[in-house]
Amino acid sequence: MIVTLGLNRSSRAFFGPSVISRSCRLLISKRLNSNVAKTTFKQENQLLVAQRKHRPVSPHLTIYQPQITWYLSSLHRISGVVLGMGFFAVTMAFGVSTIFGLGLNTDNLKAFYKEKVPSWADLTMKAGAAYLFVFHFGNGIRHLVWDMGKELSIKGVNRTGIAVLIVAAIGGTSLLFK
Amino acid sequence: MFSKSLLRCSLNRAAFHSSSKRSLTIPFLSTLPQKPGGVTGTPNDAYVPPPPDKLHGSVHWDFERVLAVAMVPLVTLPLATGGSFMTVADSLLASVLLGHVYVGFQSCIIDYIPKRVYGKNFNYAMYLLTLGSLISAIGIYKLETEENGLVGVVTNLWTSKKEEEKQK
Repeated sequence: MIVTLGLNRSSRAFFGPSVISRSCRLLISKRLNSNVAKTTFKQENQLLVAQRKHRPVSPHLTIYQPQITWYLSSLHRISGVVLGMGFFAVTMAFGVSTIFGLGLNTDNLKAFYKEKVPSWADLTMKAGAAYLFVFHFGNGIRHLVWDMGKELSIKGVNRTGIAVLIVAAIGGTSLLFK
Repeated sequence: MFSKSLLRCSLNRAAFHSSSKRSLTIPFLSTLPQKPGGVTGTPNDAYVPPPPDKLHGSVHWDFERVLAVAMVPLVTLPLATGGSFMTVADSLLASVLLGHVYVGFQSCIIDYIPKRVYGKNFNYAMYLLTLGSLISAIGIYKLETEENGLVGVVTNLWTSKKEEEKQK
């Protein structure tokens, strides 16, 4: 560990362009490093922790090439969370209404939706729900196919991914105008 | 050749070092202090795996699959019949869907509010999810016993604007 540290520190000064041959340079650095060797375990550990503080953070999603594999994986989770939130919103509204006796029922809710929700919001929510639902449904089946150990090659993953996207486009559109 | 690449390497690393403080956490949620570099102990410490727990392992995985497989026919049926759905089947759909969403949200909490970073807040998030699911279960009971089910609500909301247009 200490050897690594010593090498890092001396590398800039000694490994610049020079006339000294490579083997000679290594010899110099070895001798330099051997001078720093005697440290207690505690000191070594402190140095290690200090070095760890300066370690680089692994890069985030933005450095990866957009591919159908991880794009659809993200979309599967996002669609699941959005639809799940919608499910929770409706059922929890009925649950809270039951607990506190607020008198919510399907007719109330329908009347409220008819009067208060503007048609652009209705269309947006329905389009989102329709496409995300059909996608999540199709991609869920794709996941179950993988769980059976099928279509697990790169070709299979791409093929099924494109198939799911086509199904989502067609099915979502037909569901939207149902 | 060797020296140049080494020099470039160390310079690149220096450029990356500035990013070490940047980390993405949820605002207003307290986090635990993290070990430097995310590592504990010396380089020679052996990895200590968590104790095996079937309930969080294979049983949980099987439970997720059973719910997911059950979802397929339960969701296909009301879509195929165009909204009319037996109460028994609707109750089954709503219950399995609640389990499916619960398990899915659990996975999200494990991923985005991890115990390693958020400590107790991870537990609170799980409790909140369970509480919400219980309220949701009461709502489902109400929907199945006194209303015309989950599918009934969805179809009513889905077609409400269309009826309006027809009335005009």
